[in-house]
Formats: sequence, structure tokens, C-alpha cells
Amino acid sequence: MTSDQRFTTLAWLATLLAALLLPVLSGFDRYILHVAITITLNVALATSLWLIWTLGFISFAHAGFMGIGAYASALLFTKLGWPLWAGMWFGALIAGAIALFISLPLMRTRAVYFFMASWAVGEVIKRVFAYYRDFFGGWDGIFNIAPPKLLLFGLEIDFASRVAYYYLALILCALIVLAIARLNGSRTGMIYWSIHQNETLAQHIGIDVFRHKVICFTVACIFAGLTGALYAHYHTYINPKSFDIWKSEFALVHIIVGGLSSIGGPVIGAVSLTIVDELLRATGYFRVIFFGVVLIATVLLLPGGLETIPGRLRRLIRSGERR
Amino acid sequence: MQLLTIDRLTMQFGGLIAIKELSLTVAEGEIHGVIGPNGAGKTTLFNAISGRHRVTKGRILFKDHVISGLKPHAIVSQGLARTFQHVTLFKNFDVLKNVMVGCHLHSGYSYWGAFLNNARTRQAEADNERRARDILAFVGLSEALHEPAASLPHGHQRALGIAIALASEPHLLMLDEPCAGMNSDETRTMIDLIERIRQGGTSIMLIEHDMKVVMQLCDRITVLNFGTKIAEGTPDEILKNPLVHEAYLGTNSNVA
Repeated sequence: MTSDQRFTTLAWLATLLAALLLPVLSGFDRYILHVAITITLNVALATSLWLIWTLGFISFAHAGFMGIGAYASALLFTKLGWPLWAGMWFGALIAGAIALFISLPLMRTRAVYFFMASWAVGEVIKRVFAYYRDFFGGWDGIFNIAPPKLLLFGLEIDFASRVAYYYLALILCALIVLAIARLNGSRTGMIYWSIHQNETLAQHIGIDVFRHKVICFTVACIFAGLTGALYAHYHTYINPKSFDIWKSEFALVHIIVGGLSSIGGPVIGAVSLTIVDELLRATGYFRVIFFGVVLIATVLLLPGGLETIPGRLRRLIRSGERR
Repeated sequence: MQLLTIDRLTMQFGGLIAIKELSLTVAEGEIHGVIGPNGAGKTTLFNAISGRHRVTKGRILFKDHVISGLKPHAIVSQGLARTFQHVTLFKNFDVLKNVMVGCHLHSGYSYWGAFLNNARTRQAEADNERRARDILAFVGLSEALHEPAASLPHGHQRALGIAIALASEPHLLMLDEPCAGMNSDETRTMIDLIERIRQGGTSIMLIEHDMKVVMQLCDRITVLNFGTKIAEGTPDEILKNPLVHEAYLGTNSNVA
């Protein structure tokens, strides 16, 4: 292990430990737990959006697929009484199935055409939820989505409790990040990055580029669907606006500010910006302006994002030692 | 035996006919040169064979299978690889990783295998790395394994481009101007490399403007002009052919 790798492993373990201890450290503060749950959901969404980026694409439909997972899971609960345990897998599966179907034409487009097409897909998904009032509840959305209960060794855990829900969201978020890190570290990740860098060359060394694009997009949307189901059962109320283009754009800002080149980027971006966003809640509409300023400042002043800070510091220290 | 057979190939882009009724064969074990003035359709020919452009009319057969109409990745998997005129590499990968991606076809890759990282996948990746190192030693890049590809000097980038193509273990390798922009030292190294690739049992098809390279390397040469074949033969025959002189120098060739 090089010192860089050791540093990365330590940083991940420290993050996980801090996340696990957070409820105790915060004295079970309900507001802090709410922010923490929001962070885990944002991390999961940003990381799965980043998976599509490893191929070189930015999808504005991502929040839409989160919405599909949320609506599927919510409807299975309100109409059939299925708890989150079943609903989230079905939600993820349905999001994945729709993503697979849509990606067949969508992943044939490139660059700015992909942005526009994915934007349209995201908008259509939102409008479908809004249009079918009887089934999806229209603009009013769906109410009374209860968090689940779990009987574990004769002990009943009620996930209406924020501490319990926090740990549930944290575990799933960690699994999503872990799965994507694993994918990215394997030959699959190597293939995705090779397509990102030079699609023509990738084709001419025998990589079936289109197949990989479809699978990558589908897998990322499955994770988004899972995140959506968790979102629905936490907030107990969803409407089409919860999953509009803004949501995708915030996730995009998270990964750009965090950094695009490794999986640490979306995680650190989503964590830090969610906290900043909460601190600015009182300023109302200025939050959105602030996001724009942060995005521009990052691109201009810190190219590569927050993830490059440790490397920059190390270089600074080394050059200081030499002097 | 004919390795590659091109049968009355026509390539048309809108109103422009880039290649017209071209027939051509490449025999097993030979180095076959394709020359011609700029715009003669040489690169279009490569793009048609490698599946980059869709064939308008005609057929292309490789080892007696029709490959025209297949996607590029399917054509590579039949054993037909190519390089590009402009240096194409995975610029953000280091040298070793460039060739390891190139080993894709023979990596025993599957999504689940890669995700689970089981014993078989680890073994396959270890084999890949060894193979990539061997190929890089063969093209003379052993010293640069962990350099970023973009930082290599021009001649080495060219060699790396060929190493990536070799990693797919082709039976026929198509080189698009391998010596373009090289100084005489680099050119000599490249000629030597191409000779060694042929000795390893890979047939070669070659576009090149440097006539010294073409005359020294090729067993047979096809001359294109305005998308049609105007001559074909051994280097000596081509040098004596008046039609070739005309295409390159115009009708009053005595000025040269």
C-alpha cells in the first residue's frame, strides 16, 4: 500500500466511524438527525449520478428515476400495504426496468444532445406523476407513507424513530457507495473510464460500448430508485416537485464541487453542501443563488473540486520542506 | 490463402463517392501497402474495413466470413485490429493500463466476475498484466510502464498505439500512417517493429506516405487515386508503373 492509498482507507474508515457515532455525539438531537438522514440520501444520489459520469455522461433524469423508486414504493405501501422492506426492492427494480427501456434510445445520443434528452426524460417523468391524479395523486402527491417496523430477535424496532431510520439510511447509503466503489475499482470501471476518454478507440479494442452504456445507466438508476424509496418512507409524503430537475442539478453541483475523478468526490461534495444548505435555510431563496456562486467559485478557484485538497496540501508541505 | 478479401467496395457520403468498386486482397503473412495522393480514399478504406463507417455497397470478407455490416467491436473480436492516423490513446491512463484495457477481448471479462473479484477474475487480471508487460517489452516501452500516456514523446505514443492494437491479438493489423511526423531514428525503430510483428505471424496492412518505408517493408502495394485502384504489385512494379507517376506528379513527370 502506498501512503496515498493508506490515507484514503483511513479517511473512509474515519468517515464511517463518525457517521456511526453521530447520533450519540449529537445527543440524539432530532434536527441534527434529520440533516444526517438528508445527507445520506444526497450522498447516495450523488454517488449513483457520478457512476454515469464515469462513462462521460451527466444525466438530468436522475432525480426522475429516484422519483420512480419513491412512487413505486409509496404506492405499494398505500394501495397494497407492502412495507418498505418489499417496496424498496420493487421500487429499485421498476426504476431499473424503466431506465433500461429508456436508455436504449437515450444512450445513442451524445454530449449536449444527451443533456437535452435526459432533461426531457426527467421532465416527462415528473409530468406523468402530476398528470395522472387518480393513480399518482397529481401535484398533491401521496400522503401517509409510513416508515416500516422490524421484528428483530423478539425486539420491535419502529423506524418512525429518527435514530433507527438514520441507521437504516446510513447502511443502505454505505452499501450503495461500496457497490459503486467496487464497480469502479474493477475492470468494469476501467472500461467505463476508457469509453469516457476515447470512445472510438474503446470500440476498436473490442469493447461493446453501447452495451456498457445501457448497463451503467440502468445500474445507476436502480441505485437512484432505492434512494427514492428511502426518501419516500422517511418524509412520509412525496409530490412530483420532490423529484424535478432541481434535484438532479443539486446532485450535479455536489459532484462537481466534490470532485469528478474519484468516488470520494460525490461523497464529500454531498456531505459538505448539504450541511451548508441547511445552514443557509433561513436565507430562503438565496440558497439557490449561493449554490450557483459555489459552483462557479469551485470551477474557477479549485479545479478538480474538494477531493483535490489533501493532495494540494501535501504538495504544499513537500515544497515547503524542500525550501 | 487470402486473409482479407474486399469485393467491389463502394463508399459514398452524400454526393461524394470516396471509394468506387474497389477490389483488393491481403494474403496471409504479407505486409500490404496502400498508397495514393491525399484524398485518394486510403483512410476511408480502413474505416470501412474496421466497421467505423457503414459500407455503402460491396462485401468485405475476413477469413471467409463476411464482416461488412458488423460493429467495430465485433470485427476486432474476429482478429482484425487497427491503429489511427492521429495518435489515439487513453490519455489519462498510464502506459500499462492502456494496454491492459486493450487486452479486453481476452480478459475473460464478465460484470459479475469483475464485481465479485473472485479467484478466477484475479487470476485473469494477473495474466492480463503479464501479457500487457510482454507486449510493452516487445514494442520497447518497458521503461515507461507507469508514465501517463499523454506525457510520452511522439514516437513512443505511436508505439503505444500499436501495443494497444496488438493486445487484442489480431491476425491482421491495419496501421494508418505509423511513421507520420517521425524523425529518421524513430522511423527506423518503427520499421523494425513492424518487421517483428510480421515475424510473429501477424499480417499487416499499411497506409504510409514515406516511400522509403513503403518500399522497404511491403511485399505488395496497392495504389489508390480518387477512390479507385490504379495499380497493384510488388514495390519494383509500382516504381516502374507510369500511371503511378502520373497520379503523384502529374502528366509532365519529367519535371521531377
